[in-house]
Amino acid sequence: MLPDLTTATVDDRVAYLNQRYKHHAAQAVLERALSDEAVGRIALVSSFGAESVVLLHMISLYDRATPVLFIDTQMLFEETMAYQADVAQQLGLTDVRTIRARPEAVAAHDPEGLLHKTDTDACCNLRKTEPLERALSNFDAWITGRKRFQGQTRAALDFFENEGDFRIKVNPLAHWTPEDVQDYMINNRLPRHPLIAKGYPSIGCAPCTSPVKPGEDPRAGRWRNQEKEECGIHFINGKVVRGPLPVEVEIEEEKPMNVIVTDQGFVNDDWAHGFIAAADLETSAADAPAVAIDLASDADPTILAGRLDGVDLIRVDFPSFSDGRGFTLARRLRLMGFNGRLRARGHVIADQYTMVRRSGFDEVEIAPELAKRQPWEQWQARAAWQSHDYQNRLRGAV
Amino acid sequence: MYKYNDFDEAFVRERVAQFSGQVARRIDGSLSEDEFRPLRLMNGLYLQLHAYMLRVAVPYGTLNSRQMRQFAHIADTYDKGYGHFTTRQNIQFNWPKLRDVPAILSDLADVEMHAIQTSGNTIRNVTSDHFAGAAADEIEDPRPYAELIRQWSTDHPEFQFLPRKFKVAITGAPNDRAVVKAHDIGLRIVRNDAGQVGFEVIVGGGLGRTPMVGKVIRDFLPKEDLLPYLEAIVSVYNLLGRRDNKYKARIKITVHENGIETVRDLVEAEFIQRRELFNGADQALLAEIEPAFAQPDYITADSQGFDDFYKADPVFRSWVDTNLTEHRQPGYAIVTISLKAHGATPGDATSEQMRVMADLAQEFGHDELRVSHEQNIVLPHVHKAHLPAIHARLAAVGLATANVGLVSDIIACPGMDYCALATARSIPIAQQIAERFDELKLEHEVGPLKLKISGCINACGHHHVGHIGILGLDRAGVENYQITLGGDATENAAIGERAGPGFSADAIVPAIERLVLAYLELREGPQETFIDAYRRLGAEPFKAALYPDEAGGRKHAA
Repeated sequence: MLPDLTTATVDDRVAYLNQRYKHHAAQAVLERALSDEAVGRIALVSSFGAESVVLLHMISLYDRATPVLFIDTQMLFEETMAYQADVAQQLGLTDVRTIRARPEAVAAHDPEGLLHKTDTDACCNLRKTEPLERALSNFDAWITGRKRFQGQTRAALDFFENEGDFRIKVNPLAHWTPEDVQDYMINNRLPRHPLIAKGYPSIGCAPCTSPVKPGEDPRAGRWRNQEKEECGIHFINGKVVRGPLPVEVEIEEEKPMNVIVTDQGFVNDDWAHGFIAAADLETSAADAPAVAIDLASDADPTILAGRLDGVDLIRVDFPSFSDGRGFTLARRLRLMGFNGRLRARGHVIADQYTMVRRSGFDEVEIAPELAKRQPWEQWQARAAWQSHDYQNRLRGAV
Repeated sequence: MYKYNDFDEAFVRERVAQFSGQVARRIDGSLSEDEFRPLRLMNGLYLQLHAYMLRVAVPYGTLNSRQMRQFAHIADTYDKGYGHFTTRQNIQFNWPKLRDVPAILSDLADVEMHAIQTSGNTIRNVTSDHFAGAAADEIEDPRPYAELIRQWSTDHPEFQFLPRKFKVAITGAPNDRAVVKAHDIGLRIVRNDAGQVGFEVIVGGGLGRTPMVGKVIRDFLPKEDLLPYLEAIVSVYNLLGRRDNKYKARIKITVHENGIETVRDLVEAEFIQRRELFNGADQALLAEIEPAFAQPDYITADSQGFDDFYKADPVFRSWVDTNLTEHRQPGYAIVTISLKAHGATPGDATSEQMRVMADLAQEFGHDELRVSHEQNIVLPHVHKAHLPAIHARLAAVGLATANVGLVSDIIACPGMDYCALATARSIPIAQQIAERFDELKLEHEVGPLKLKISGCINACGHHHVGHIGILGLDRAGVENYQITLGGDATENAAIGERAGPGFSADAIVPAIERLVLAYLELREGPQETFIDAYRRLGAEPFKAALYPDEAGGRKHAA
């Protein structure tokens, strides 16, 4: 039953729409979505990538004035830009809106266009997610080309989805297989993105897309060699994000202090002498009152061999909690005879506190955001690190 | 069998409580989805195609009747009444609900079991020879060492976030039934020239998309150095292994890219340091573990009944001939129960079947069962006098299929029917092949033949080491099956070679049939097995059978 649209929540509307259209085919879902009151103001978001032409073609049949949002990250392939213009013209689309990052945001965060080399997530946020979020703020719903076969995170995709209780996401092609896409393109004689023939079955920005070899997953060329699978338009940290992206970068000017986790609780950092890179140890002043070293997770600890005597503190970096090198680095430093303070810094989660302590660290340094999300009680639950430890039994300790 | 002490018991209970807490903290937002995922995985919980999947460890494949009955209880209470035994001596439940998982883990703890480190980038469940402690060819029972490794690797603080998963297998017999050369670390118990018993340590084996046969890193390791040496290998890998590309992150790639010599130098240097960390407590613990794996109190009985029945009943005789292995104790046999009934899903067992197997182990088998990496269940210690009764009770629940080691005893991964990674179906292909050879009534004549099927290049079905391997791929949206020939999972480990272009789902079963019929024509006699004939003749005559049109189009024209 159609819910009362003045009071219905997004959840109510999504449930109603999924129920109503569950037996419909892709085209029917799209056609109705363009006019169903329960959907509201709607736009198609298109990358003009390898398979985009399918939805663009359908839109052109039902209502060629439907707003089409094209995100120009200013990092796209030339071929994509040319293809976008061609397709829009050929299909007679009348409301294609090109979305770009605000020039001042680009100037502030990626003036040289190199952010993608150091932090792809931040680059996607800046150039894709944030501009899109802004552009979508005037819409109640948007159409995407996502499909179930495209990966585990998409395996249970429905036609209609609740995006953070404020907007509906419509996935008309949810149940399509790769063959369906190919058939549709062949049957309708649709123009293909020129890069497909060059080995790119999935096309994103030029720096982060590479060709795919036969036998590889079609999306294998996206963010190759990285854990990343999604650009963040659809998921951020595994969750749909509400409203525009957090503008953390701007608040950072008066950055709150990191939190030090010890067996006794959260404390403020009492180290006031600064840190030097491990490589600079040699050139540091011999008469420095106190020496602390920052050690990267990919560092070779043997560079410190024979030079640990004058060192008071070593801080080992954890760029991600899933990067477990720091645990072995700590054990190695202890085996090398380091008896000073050993600190794990970065993305270490409460569940890893026992591992950190058992590997030889004394303490953990975390960002205030993480300390807020995982308060002391959650670390305390893992602070009894000396009990229930197989290693103690095997090494005869305690 | 190993019995949990108070420490083990407290450990698994605490772990269950921690996981329940992690589920709650995921829901309240304390843990992000990215952070929760590896924690979920290191407790054995996968998110699969249709639902969650819980993978429970059967350490080194050994379990008792009470544990098997608990699997039946879990299957009935929380799942759809069956479980799936895997190639790594685990059992998987394919339909548990997330909210039931803590209860399942608690039920497992009740019978001294867990799902810890059956997944994730951790050291996984240690696997071993499924005939350990019973086989006639054994130097020493490998399971006390396997249990020691289980304790050492469980929650090891350095190794919970490795570059990639890490699998260890150990065998105590010269005939390798544990595929140790296809593991990240393979351990073979050996005797050196001085008569001492120690380990040959093999590193960097693996199947998957880049199959490699492991390389010997140390030809003789004294027994007491086992843990520090393992720790040296894994810590070297933890720092050296690649983290930029998950397809290049396994230690086989580390060894391949850096060379075994470099890796050996690093490991040996680290080993000297690590040895300092062990002061003999591990050996004391090992000495406590060893008696748990003592030989059972063997019985003596009159086997005349067995001999008479063997002569009289051809169905029983056929089962005895294929499913029994020689036991070290006179009058005893090792029974392999096939979970490969023709047309059934390889490795699946219903709760009723599990209970029957548990009963038989309790009544006739010194209360012991094994899970084999070939996805069958083993009763390791059975007196021959009991075999007719065992056979009859197995037959009543569809477990008396006489095909162990034959063409229908297929290893198959779950494939596209269950797995999110798969690119093709594997179970239906296994079923069709088994049914076809059952119709032909040929498999006993064909004799020993290892056929293994994987539904994607990750190779969970071990197709690379099948005498005949089948790899299911997706070619432009169409399932396509490639055949490899000549693989071997034993001590003579070899990676199979691709025979040629793949076959469609409709054409793969006839292709396998042509291949096997060609072997029957080519062999010198029934004593020459498929793999022996292949080694004698090479791939060509088999390829000719697979691709008759290319080899001699005229044959068809005639």
